[in-house]
Amino acid sequence: MSEVKTANVDLSSILKGQENLKFADEEIMLNTKDLKVFYGEKEAVHGITMDIPKNRVTAFIGPSGCGKSTLLRCFNRMNDLVDSCSIGGEIILDNRNIYGKDVDVAELRRRVGMVFQKPNPFPKSIYENVAYGLRIQGVNKKRVLDETVEWALKSAALWDEVKDRLHESALGMSGGQQQRLVIARTIAVKPEVLLLDEPASALDPISTLKIEELIHELKKDFTIIIVTHNMQQAARVSDYTAFMYMGDLIEFGVTDTLFTNPEKKQTEDYITGRFG
Amino acid sequence: MTANDANSEGFSSHISKQFNEELEQIRTELLAMGGIVERQVHQSVEALLTGDLLLAEEALAIDVQTNAMELKIDERCTSIIARRQPAASDLRLIVSISKAVVDLERMGDEAVRICRQTVELSTLGNSQHGFQEVRHIGNLVRTMVKDVLTAFARGDIEQAYKVAKSDRSVDQEYRSAMRTLVSLMMEDPRSISSCLNVIWVLRSLERIGDHSRNMAEHIIYLVSGENVRHQSLKHMKSTVEQSI
Repeated sequence: MSEVKTANVDLSSILKGQENLKFADEEIMLNTKDLKVFYGEKEAVHGITMDIPKNRVTAFIGPSGCGKSTLLRCFNRMNDLVDSCSIGGEIILDNRNIYGKDVDVAELRRRVGMVFQKPNPFPKSIYENVAYGLRIQGVNKKRVLDETVEWALKSAALWDEVKDRLHESALGMSGGQQQRLVIARTIAVKPEVLLLDEPASALDPISTLKIEELIHELKKDFTIIIVTHNMQQAARVSDYTAFMYMGDLIEFGVTDTLFTNPEKKQTEDYITGRFG
Repeated sequence: MTANDANSEGFSSHISKQFNEELEQIRTELLAMGGIVERQVHQSVEALLTGDLLLAEEALAIDVQTNAMELKIDERCTSIIARRQPAASDLRLIVSISKAVVDLERMGDEAVRICRQTVELSTLGNSQHGFQEVRHIGNLVRTMVKDVLTAFARGDIEQAYKVAKSDRSVDQEYRSAMRTLVSLMMEDPRSISSCLNVIWVLRSLERIGDHSRNMAEHIIYLVSGENVRHQSLKHMKSTVEQSI
């Protein structure tokens, strides 16, 4: 394919499923090139090429087993922990393939943080949970730790609720608070990308709204990629939405357009509840 | 199985049968309301042209039904948005119906105005100044109303485009009728009262044409996803051609 460039984007990367995406004014944080994921012999993700814009929320939607969580886990090499899993293609972050041989995976996971479906605070105090990442990086100065913990808890919209009980166990918090604590713990090490895998699916509606509001606030500082089964949530929080089906990226576009006038019939059928 | 296979195997309706039924019901109700308004417009024009005051009263009475249906369909739209959070073509259907009921209700109001002018005119003797113009524009407008409802029922955007195009003819005929009536009033000042009533009737018919065009635009949005409001006919035509 001949190379066509706009101010910021290499249009040759806009392939299947991305035709309606206008990235002319967006800076690209990450991109995948012909990314394939195999579990043993089985190909779970079939050659996906896509750009993830910086400081935006990109949502992945699709039925169970479509490969969206598998794809999300590729962005910080969580799939390395699955024995039978192998990867083809590339994921480029700062002009480097994150699957390159010389990549420090621990450093990659600091830069690309992840929050899971179920809140998983450590059995430590609220303060120590947030300070944990910094401590293992060798930061021990109390002033730096205090400042970072306060900043992270404030950014995670949790400070006012916990400032008087920072040294109490994190396990005594509600589910919604625990999930925001986990987000605070993740952002405390100042990652560039936040991966959220169903971050609100185990929470009540009010806690869900708080997480969604938080996502909106956090995108000023981080690039966010979220996997969600809740299509209304994707519609509410994301700037761009990617619809995946059976390991293929069917459509990737501006969220407003995708939810009002999708280009592909499969997308239309999925978001209107006609198959799934 | 791919998504396309799923479609070919008949999964084109919603997984929720109840949601299917709700959407079908609201579509049917809009068409029923359209039928009532079409009848109202037809009767109001006929009542004027034949001086049939009973028919005018009947068309006036129908307006209660039109208003009630507007409220009922509006409530259903609100309920579907709140309970189902429709997306894509379902969302466009609800948005289009919610706007179309407003246009239909206003068409009904214009028919009521025509009936009131009929009653007024009956008190002014049997002058028939401008009736030829009313008949001509009335026929054009009635066809527009009928065609736009057919276009909605079939999701036919070519037909919707033709309706929008007809509005231009109605506007031209309206301007021409105005010139004729102004000349008549200048020639015969005694005809001013009845001519003014006929001018109001023509104005109402022209407005019904405008509402039909609005509905045609909603249909194009519903089917193609493109908003063609406030656009030229040329732009509308190209949108329709691209969507077929």
